[in-house]
Amino acid sequence: MERLFCDPRRCVGCRACEIACAVEHTPSKDLFASVLNGELGPPRRRVQTVGAKPYRVAIGGVVLSLGCHHCDPAPCVDACITGAMHKEDGQTVCDLEKCVGCWMCVMSCPYGAITPKVKALKCDLCPDRQEKTGRSRYACIEACPTEALFAGTFEEFQKVLAEPVTAVWEGTR
Amino acid sequence: MKPRYLIIGASAAGTSAAETLRRYAPDAQVTVVSDEKITYSKPLLSYYLAGKLGEEQLFFRSPDFYERHGIERIHARAVGLLPEKNTVELSDGQKLKYDKLLLATGAAPRFPHIEGIRKDGVFGLRKLEDAHGILARLPKTKSAVVLGGGLVGLKAAAALKEHGVAVTVLIDSPHALSQMLDESSARIFERIFEQNGVAIRTRAKPVAVLGDQQIEGVQIALGEVFPCELVVVGKGVDPSLELLEGTQIRKEYGVLVDDYLRTSVENIYAAGDVAQARDVVRGEPWINALWPCAVEQGRVAALNMLGIATRYRGSMRMNSVQFFGVPVISAGLAVLTPGPLGGRPGEHDETLESQPAPGIYRKIFLKDETIVGFVLVGDVPIEAAGVLRILMERRVNVASIKEELLELGPELGRLLPLIAENRERFVEREFQELVQTVGV
Ligand SMILES: Cc1cc2nc3c(=O)[nH]c(=O)nc-3n(C[C@H](O)[C@H](O)[C@H](O)COP(=O)(O)OP(=O)(O)OC[C@H]3O[C@@H](n4cnc5c(N)ncnc54)[C@H](O)[C@@H]3O)c2cc1C
Ligand code: SF4
Ligand code: SF4
Repeated sequence: MERLFCDPRRCVGCRACEIACAVEHTPSKDLFASVLNGELGPPRRRVQTVGAKPYRVAIGGVVLSLGCHHCDPAPCVDACITGAMHKEDGQTVCDLEKCVGCWMCVMSCPYGAITPKVKALKCDLCPDRQEKTGRSRYACIEACPTEALFAGTFEEFQKVLAEPVTAVWEGTR
Repeated sequence: MKPRYLIIGASAAGTSAAETLRRYAPDAQVTVVSDEKITYSKPLLSYYLAGKLGEEQLFFRSPDFYERHGIERIHARAVGLLPEKNTVELSDGQKLKYDKLLLATGAAPRFPHIEGIRKDGVFGLRKLEDAHGILARLPKTKSAVVLGGGLVGLKAAAALKEHGVAVTVLIDSPHALSQMLDESSARIFERIFEQNGVAIRTRAKPVAVLGDQQIEGVQIALGEVFPCELVVVGKGVDPSLELLEGTQIRKEYGVLVDDYLRTSVENIYAAGDVAQARDVVRGEPWINALWPCAVEQGRVAALNMLGIATRYRGSMRMNSVQFFGVPVISAGLAVLTPGPLGGRPGEHDETLESQPAPGIYRKIFLKDETIVGFVLVGDVPIEAAGVLRILMERRVNVASIKEELLELGPELGRLLPLIAENRERFVEREFQELVQTVGV
């Protein structure tokens, strides 16, 4: 199954992915409209610095953007008392209609990937972009200026990690 | 002949086991026996009682789940177990042979042994029929008494309040939620209940339910009588062990299982509220009667029943609830008062505590520089529950980040070096990928 990965060598911690994610999950899907209408919710990915406090991007620190890993088995799915959080073709999906906001999943996700905001909000792999292809398939990937984010299997991502960074910036992807 | 996997109990543990058996053995014969007609989520009963969810919203798997997956579901009670004959006897007279058996019979409310406790109008809250019974009585109920200040008792109290019933909660212990919260955290919630019109009486030991035809009240040890027309008992649960009678299956509080969730008798496994399995924080077998544990144990037991050797890492006490809009998540040994199953003092040697604003609260208990429990109250603190819990579950030495534990957010990034140092305890594919990705 395709999942999202972040290459910490490329991530500069600009948080463009966070904004794009928050905007993607609004009715208007437009930054200005969503701010004006107060639609903007929390992002479902968070840029974080390895070994440092959140958002305090240390010079030379390793920064990366993390969201839901779509685990299998998924601790959040085990914990869900309504069946809202469930697996679907390998993805971990929350059925917001069913979610009662009990936060059993928040307690159970070891990656802090779920935001409790009335309902359990997490990376849903952009269901409204299923028709799109390439870098536009996911809002965060499209927004990332350094091409740090990658969609694919981990084995494919390992190949990316093995490549030198500059080659990618010269437009091989 | 195809092997038959037989599961007794079709709730969290039983359903999870059946789902797993089906996933890994599409052709296996899987039979589930339940004395309840439908499979629904028990933690949602308080939502149903409060009128927040309808009956059709209580399913955690679609109503046709068993049918759709080709799993036989028999509506009957298992009344006998003959391990030497690999047979289970049902209340309808059927005798079912099994190759592998899973006991997922769960638990039932514990009623105190006091006068009048079996009167009409005294309810537990464990089954849908309990909720039906309580709801049917509400039209003639002005006041209700809840016995027990645990999670289920307080959820029932809050639900009854939604219907405008005057509710008094009688609690034996010195404070509410004594299995979940330390005293000062519990006081926050006692106050919230009082502010919302639910009376909380601690150190109040009920001695009798009064009344002849109709319930008239509950009397406590000091003599005081609390008038009411309805009593709900929320004083914990006891594992349903009836099937063990006459067998060699070892038990203590519950069915004792090893790290592969096998009982002491061959081909018989146990999972969920009935099973006493490893507790990672206590380091000894314990029952953590919790939904997530039941689901995980059901899955692990099923894998082992299939011959896919899978070690159960162990559970811990944990819970997440909201009362009148205030969320709390607590886990591990947040409690020093002994519970019905014992409980030992001195289980932590350091407490970190912060209360940045009224009603926002974080408390972390450490022992030998390892997290052994925490209580988080309020919208922001609870976001860190997941990462704190995994540090506790994996017994990570947190000395290097102790100063920051109280301000930790949900981000795992901060903890990645620590996780990398302890990578042998983070065997999941997802953790290993992360460690590889950041190369720490
Ligand atoms: C009101 C309420 C609120 C709760 N809130 C939470 C919460 O917030 N978080 C949490 O983690 N947990 C909560 N729980 C606990 C949670 O529901 C249990 O941990 C979970 O249901 C355990 O699942 P189980 O499958 O082990 O057992 P059970 O759910 O008890 O199911 C066992 C099933 O087996 C059936 N059975 C028993 N004996 C037999 C027999 N001999 N023959 C046939 N069938 C039999 C029973 O009727 C039952 O249907 C709550 C429970 C209640 C009642
Ligand atoms: S929300 Fe957390 S536990 Fe659930 S699949 Fe995503 S990363 Fe895993
Ligand atoms: S908050 Fe929603 S998704 Fe999470 S466990 Fe509760 S019902 Fe399930």
